[in-house]
Amino acid sequence: MKANKKIIKYINNTNLSRFRFWFQIFSFIIFVYGSYFLIDLGQNIPTFACPYNPGSPGTCFLISIQHQMHTTWSALFSWRGVGFLTSLLSFVLFFVLFNKAWCGFMCPLGTIQDWITKLRNRLGIRFSNYDEKSFKKLSWIKYVLLVLLVFIPLAIANSIFGLPKVSHDMMSPFCQICPARIILPLFSGDTSQIFINFRSTVTLVMSLLAILVLALFFIGAFVKKRFFCFFCPMSALQYLFSKIGILRLTKVGDKCTRCGNCSRVCDMGILSIAEDVTSVNVVTDNCMMCFKCVEACPEEGCLDVKVLNFKLFSSTEEGFFKRFNPAGDSKELPPSNQKI
Amino acid sequence: MLHTVSEDRFRRMKKTGSIHYNMEIKKNLAEVVDKFPDNPIGMQYFYKRFEKFLDGDDNSFKNKKVIASMCIHVPLELIYAVRAVPVRICSGAYSMDQIGTEFLPAKTCPMVKSTLGAIYLDILPGNIDPVLIVNPATCDQKKKMGELGEELNSPLYMLEVPPTKDTEEARRYWHRVVKKFVKKLESVTGNKITRRSLKKAILMVAKAQAEYRRFNQLRGMAPVIYGKDAILLTNAYFFDDIERWTQKLYELNNELDNRVKERKYVGRPNSPRILLTGSPSIFPNMKLPVLIEELGGLVVYEEFCSTSRMIWDTVAVDEWFLFDMIPAVADRYLKPSTCPNFSPNNDRKRKILKGIKEFAIDGVIYQTFTGCQLYDMESRMVGHYVEKMGIPTLFIESDYNPDDSGQLITRLEAFLDSLKNKK
Repeated sequence: MKANKKIIKYINNTNLSRFRFWFQIFSFIIFVYGSYFLIDLGQNIPTFACPYNPGSPGTCFLISIQHQMHTTWSALFSWRGVGFLTSLLSFVLFFVLFNKAWCGFMCPLGTIQDWITKLRNRLGIRFSNYDEKSFKKLSWIKYVLLVLLVFIPLAIANSIFGLPKVSHDMMSPFCQICPARIILPLFSGDTSQIFINFRSTVTLVMSLLAILVLALFFIGAFVKKRFFCFFCPMSALQYLFSKIGILRLTKVGDKCTRCGNCSRVCDMGILSIAEDVTSVNVVTDNCMMCFKCVEACPEEGCLDVKVLNFKLFSSTEEGFFKRFNPAGDSKELPPSNQKI
Repeated sequence: MLHTVSEDRFRRMKKTGSIHYNMEIKKNLAEVVDKFPDNPIGMQYFYKRFEKFLDGDDNSFKNKKVIASMCIHVPLELIYAVRAVPVRICSGAYSMDQIGTEFLPAKTCPMVKSTLGAIYLDILPGNIDPVLIVNPATCDQKKKMGELGEELNSPLYMLEVPPTKDTEEARRYWHRVVKKFVKKLESVTGNKITRRSLKKAILMVAKAQAEYRRFNQLRGMAPVIYGKDAILLTNAYFFDDIERWTQKLYELNNELDNRVKERKYVGRPNSPRILLTGSPSIFPNMKLPVLIEELGGLVVYEEFCSTSRMIWDTVAVDEWFLFDMIPAVADRYLKPSTCPNFSPNNDRKRKILKGIKEFAIDGVIYQTFTGCQLYDMESRMVGHYVEKMGIPTLFIESDYNPDDSGQLITRLEAFLDSLKNKK
């Protein structure tokens, strides 16, 4: 029992962000160079494993949706629909294991943004944040993108409301503007995705849009932490299933003093984590489950990371004072009290 | 000086005022110390600090500019970061209360009047000579007091505090106020806030906070220290050198830790465990906690701005640069505050609830100073909330005048007896 307590204490005192940093590098290697290690994770990965990248160990589920929606209504509601449902099921099975931690710990695009943030931090340049109003407004964009990436392929294959069909050049519309399609192949030395396609007006507009989004991605990530994640349709899709995830971020509202430490350190700038004292599940659509909030919470057991009901990582006083010690040296703080 | 009295009268006031103040300190300290058996050895340091409360023989302020503060909304870290020393001058002296009546209506909160009197007569803790007196515009009394700077001939600085803390608008406003305050501090002290100095200041305060939290943990575990001592030592945080204070609290905590192990408890086994809240008890006004504990109660948690509310909450910084550190410090002084000047103030109810649960409280005693409207107005809301949980509550309206102790004893005795019978 005593050894058990020691392990719990050790875990709660760790610097989870440091662990996350290394874990992100590890998963970056897996999701960007995985195929070189003969890893194949299938076609329904709930993160940006981009098949345009020759090193990718699989396919991002968004591309699967776009492909499978490129079908006629009659086909969709026949056996072909079952194919879609199975791939959705395998996406969900992948997803429930780690919930939105796919974003915080595994997404290669997220990792790149975190590296850009580190670079900015090194340079001592300040970051910016949305105010409350813009935050609420901008949160909708990812859902719009998600709906579009489902309906545009359908509109290519079907005539909706008797309107003419959408051009075939709109195939995989989100991939056409997705920054991952351009960035991730670069890591395998493939520069072929940087192009402006003059074949038709549609391809011209879409490829120009892609370059614009790419530029915004880099500039945005330099100005605001995790800039792109705010607009990411994968994040929106994941949130639809977040409630059934077995990895959970929970809060005990009674223990919260609403000091706002958690929302202060949140890369996504989520305010509700501090303000909400009634919800137990505090994962919102913008949350990427990086658990920085748990690290920053000084109240004993107020925020918990759980797998089902087993506590994996909890906020503690001792852990807080160890981590948020500007000297970076935990020895400088007075020794902690041992509970009897 | 623009004040209304002749210079001769002022001199007499100052003379008699300081005599009365000293007498008050002696008498009240004796009550805190002598009436109770086996006070912890670690408390001796704090008792000694209060013996020399008004004298300037403390070396920790030497060659340092002093910034006086009045509320918990003054960011201490920033003051340490400009290499100045903060001293909170909120006063609990009845003798000074009488002086303050010269300036404010008789039915004003005695704490404000007393502080005002102390500033007017220049009888401040540690005999300090502050270059700036920071007066957060919280309650109405404090607001109006802030206008008296010229008349008092003292460098009063008004720190604007938003009337609410829940909205982002209030938070942004507060951030701007704090940035302005930083500029003021820099111009008054001549020192610039640097990344390094603020980091150091945050660490220094964090150490004190960590130690104070440990102190509370120990108090929660077993009744090892009287509440009057807890209030006294947090009062010492007002004016003591923070590093020394932390060190002494560390020593005291070790002693209390041993007491927990040896089961050396204070009070009686059936002593009702009391949560104190409302208008703050500030030395030398220790009337209420001393009476409660003399009568067999045990104050185990205080939700006062002179105790837990002042030290408990921490600063969390994401990026250790001034652009993030200053807002982080600012947030810490706004967001978790349960000062009743904020509306809505549900956090106070929740904090009291947390205290009741964590400290196994038997009864709540709610202190309101005569004229302290905000605490008085909140008493009903808090009272309902606490009673709903089945915890009996006693409201006490009192001021710094020691004359009402007879009446208080009757009421407290009845309340504590009813709690004992329940146990």
